[in-house]
Amino acid sequence: MPKSAFLRPLVLLSAAGLLLAGCASAPDTSTGPSPSESASANADYCARMVTNSGGLQDRSFNQSSWEGLQSAGEKYGIDVQAIVSKTETDVGPNVEQAVATGCQYVLTVGWELADATLAQATAHPDVHFSIVDEQVDAPNIKPIVFNTAEASYLAGYLAAGVSKTGIVATFGGDNQPPVTLFMDGFSDGIDQYNQVHGTTVKLLGWNKAKQDGEFTGDYEDTTKGKAKAQAFLDAGADVILPVAGQVGEGAAAAVVDAGGAASLIWVDNDGFETLPAEFRPIVLTSVLKNTQDAVISIVGGDIDGVFDNSAFIGTLKNGGVEIAPFHDRADLVSTELAGEIDQLRQQIIDGAIVVTSPSTPSSN
Amino acid sequence: MSAVSQTSGAGADKIVLEKAFVKNWKAPISFGVVTIVALLLFVLNGREGTSSFKLTADATAIQLPVIQLPTVATGIVITVLLAGLTAYSAYRVQTERKTPLWIVAIFAFLFLVGFLAWAGAGASIPVYGLLLGTVALSAPLIFGALGGVISERSGVVNIAIEGQMLAGAFVSAMVATLTGNAFAGLFGAMVAGMLVSFVLAAFAIKYLVDQIIVGVVLNVLVLGLTSFFYSTIMTANPQMFNQPARFPRIEIPVLSQIPIIGPLLFQQTIIIYIMYVTVFVVWYGLFHTRWGLRVRSVGEHPQAADTVGIKVGVTRFWNVSLAGAVAGMGGAYFTLGSVGAFNKEMTAGAGFIALAAVIFGQWDPLKATMAALLFGFATNLQSVLGVIGSPVPSEFMLMLPYVVTILAVAGFVGKSRAPAADGKPYIK
Repeated sequence: MPKSAFLRPLVLLSAAGLLLAGCASAPDTSTGPSPSESASANADYCARMVTNSGGLQDRSFNQSSWEGLQSAGEKYGIDVQAIVSKTETDVGPNVEQAVATGCQYVLTVGWELADATLAQATAHPDVHFSIVDEQVDAPNIKPIVFNTAEASYLAGYLAAGVSKTGIVATFGGDNQPPVTLFMDGFSDGIDQYNQVHGTTVKLLGWNKAKQDGEFTGDYEDTTKGKAKAQAFLDAGADVILPVAGQVGEGAAAAVVDAGGAASLIWVDNDGFETLPAEFRPIVLTSVLKNTQDAVISIVGGDIDGVFDNSAFIGTLKNGGVEIAPFHDRADLVSTELAGEIDQLRQQIIDGAIVVTSPSTPSSN
Repeated sequence: MSAVSQTSGAGADKIVLEKAFVKNWKAPISFGVVTIVALLLFVLNGREGTSSFKLTADATAIQLPVIQLPTVATGIVITVLLAGLTAYSAYRVQTERKTPLWIVAIFAFLFLVGFLAWAGAGASIPVYGLLLGTVALSAPLIFGALGGVISERSGVVNIAIEGQMLAGAFVSAMVATLTGNAFAGLFGAMVAGMLVSFVLAAFAIKYLVDQIIVGVVLNVLVLGLTSFFYSTIMTANPQMFNQPARFPRIEIPVLSQIPIIGPLLFQQTIIIYIMYVTVFVVWYGLFHTRWGLRVRSVGEHPQAADTVGIKVGVTRFWNVSLAGAVAGMGGAYFTLGSVGAFNKEMTAGAGFIALAAVIFGQWDPLKATMAALLFGFATNLQSVLGVIGSPVPSEFMLMLPYVVTILAVAGFVGKSRAPAADGKPYIK
C-alpha cells in the first residue's frame, strides 16, 4: 500500500489540525472602547470582564454585565474590556489572562467560572473580583446574586390570577438552590393569591414544604422539557414556569403545539425579546435579573476604595430583579390584578411582605 | 446470519442434550425481585383511593370510558398474578423449558398497570399522553439506533452517533432558517450526519484507526464545532441563522380519529412518519434484500464476502455514511421536529442511549427500536407520574429510565452477540 503509506501522515496531520481547530481555545477577541478620553481622573484604573461560553450577545448575564461595565467605563472614565470564552475549557486561561492585564477589577460571569475565579482570586489577593450569579466565598470576591424569589412571587400571584383552569405548573432543570428559589417564590405567590381571593389555584411540579418537585435532569435536552410541559398541559395546567434554561423552549413548543391557549413565564431575561418569534405570543411575563446597575455601583465603589466581599443581592428594592411587561398577553391581566401586583411589589420593597426560601442568597 | 443458523442446525442432533441441561434462572429470579417490589409497594405500602386511567384526550371526537380501578384491590390482584407468573416461569425452568417472551411481556404489562395504579392513586392517569410522549422522546433514539445498527452490521462500530445527531441538529436549524424550508433543513441534517460519517469511515476503513477512538474524538469535535459556531454565529443573529420553521403536524383523515392509535400513528409530523417508514425499510432491507445480505456479510465475515467478490471497504464506507444520514435525521428531530431553534449540546447524550439501544436490541433494527421505545417510555413515565403526584422523590424518578434499562438488559435480554467482524478493520 505505497499510496496510503504516503498519505497517512498527511491525513493524520490534517486530522490533528481539524481537532486543534475544534478543541483548542479560539483566539480571544477583545472588544471594548480604547482607553477613554476622559480617563484623566482614573487613568490607572481598569476593569476586565470574562464571559462564559454564551458570548457577549447572549441576551442574558453576559450581555447585561457587559452593558453595565461599559456604562461604568463611560461614567468613571476607565478602560474596560471583555474577554469572550468560546468553550468551557477557555474560562480558566481567560480569567488568568484578565488578571495578567494588571487591572484592578475582574468581573466573571456564570457558575462555570467559579473555580477559575476562586483560583485566581487566591493567587492574586490584591485584585478585586466579582462573579455574576454564583456565590463564591473569598476575601476579594464580591458575588452578584439575585433573590429571584421576590420577583417570582409576583409572577406566581399573576399566574394564579390569570389561570382559568385553576392549575399552574413549574419545573426545573435540577434540584439546585438557584432554580428552586424561583419555584419557592412562585409557590408563595400562588398561596398569597388563594388567600386573598379565597381560590384554590393548584401548583403542579413543586412542593415548597418538601422542597421537591419536577425536574428534567439537565439544561440541554429540550425534548424532555417539551414532554414535561405536555404532561402538565394534559393535567390541565394553563400557566407554566420552566426554570431550566434552554430546556424551557421545549415547554414553549409544547404550549404552541397544543394550540397556544396556555401561557408561559420565562426566566432570567425577557422571553418576549429573546425567544424565537413563534413562542413570543404565549409569554405572559418573565422573571428578570438585572446585573447592569449592580456592576456600575460595584465598580464605582471600588474606584473610591470601597470594596467588600459581601454579596450584592439583587432584589425588587434595588431593581436587581423584576417581572417583565405582559406584552401580547396583557389582555389576560385585568387592571385590578395588575394593581394588586403593583401593591405587592411595594409591600415587598417596604418589607411588609418578606418572601422566604431555604435557597435565599445570604450576603455572608 | 444464515451461515450461523445453518451450522447450529447441522449440529443440532449433538447439541440437543447439552442444551437441555442449561437451566437459565435469570428470568424467574428477575420476576421474583420485581414481584417482591410489587408486594412491598402495592400491598404492604398500598395507597387508598381510586386510580382512573384516561384513555382519550378531552378534545378528541371518539371518547373511550375512563377506567376506574380501586387502588389497593388492584395492587393485591396484580401482585398475586405476578407471583403466579414467577412460579410458572420457575416451573418451566425446572422442567428445562425457556421462559417465552410473551410471559415477559404480560409480566411487564401487569407490573406497569399495578405501578401506575399505585403511583396515581386518587389521580387520573393520562394514558394517551403517556404513549404520545413516548413516541416524542423515543424518536431521536430510534433514528440514532437505526444509524448504529446499519453501521455496526457492516462492521464499523459507530460511537459517533451523538456527533452525527448533534451535527444534524445544528445544520438542520441553520439550513432551514437560511432557506426558510424545513425539508431543506432535513436534507442538510442528513448531509451533516454523512460528513461526520465520512471522517469515521475514512479513518476506520482506509487508515485502520481504532474505531472507538475515532468515534469518541468525533463526538468531541462536533460538540466543540457546533458550540463554537452557535456562540459566534447563531447567537449574534438568531433571526438569520437560528429560527427554523418547524414541521407542522399532519393529520391523516379518518385514521387519526381512532382512539389511542390515531394520535400515535396518524397525527404526527412528517419526521415521525419518516421514522416509521425508516424502521420498516431498514429491517426489510437488512434481512430481505441483496443490499442487506452484503452489509451483514461484510460485518460477519469480511474475508468470505471478499472471496465472493463483494468490495468490503466500499460497502462499509457507504453504509457507514448511510448510518450517518439516518442519525442526522434524528438530530433534525430535535430542532425541526420538536422545538425549532438549535441550542448548545441539545442532543444531551441521546446518541449514547441510542448506542445502548443498539446493543440492547441485539443489532436488530426492530429490537433496537423497541429498546429505544422502552427508554422513551420510562423517561416519559417519570415525567407523567411526577405531574400527577407520585410519592417517589424526584431524584429517584429521574433514575427510572436507567433502572428500567438495566433491569431489562440484565434480567430479560438474552446474550447480545455483536456482528462477528464489528469493530475489526478488514486487511486484505
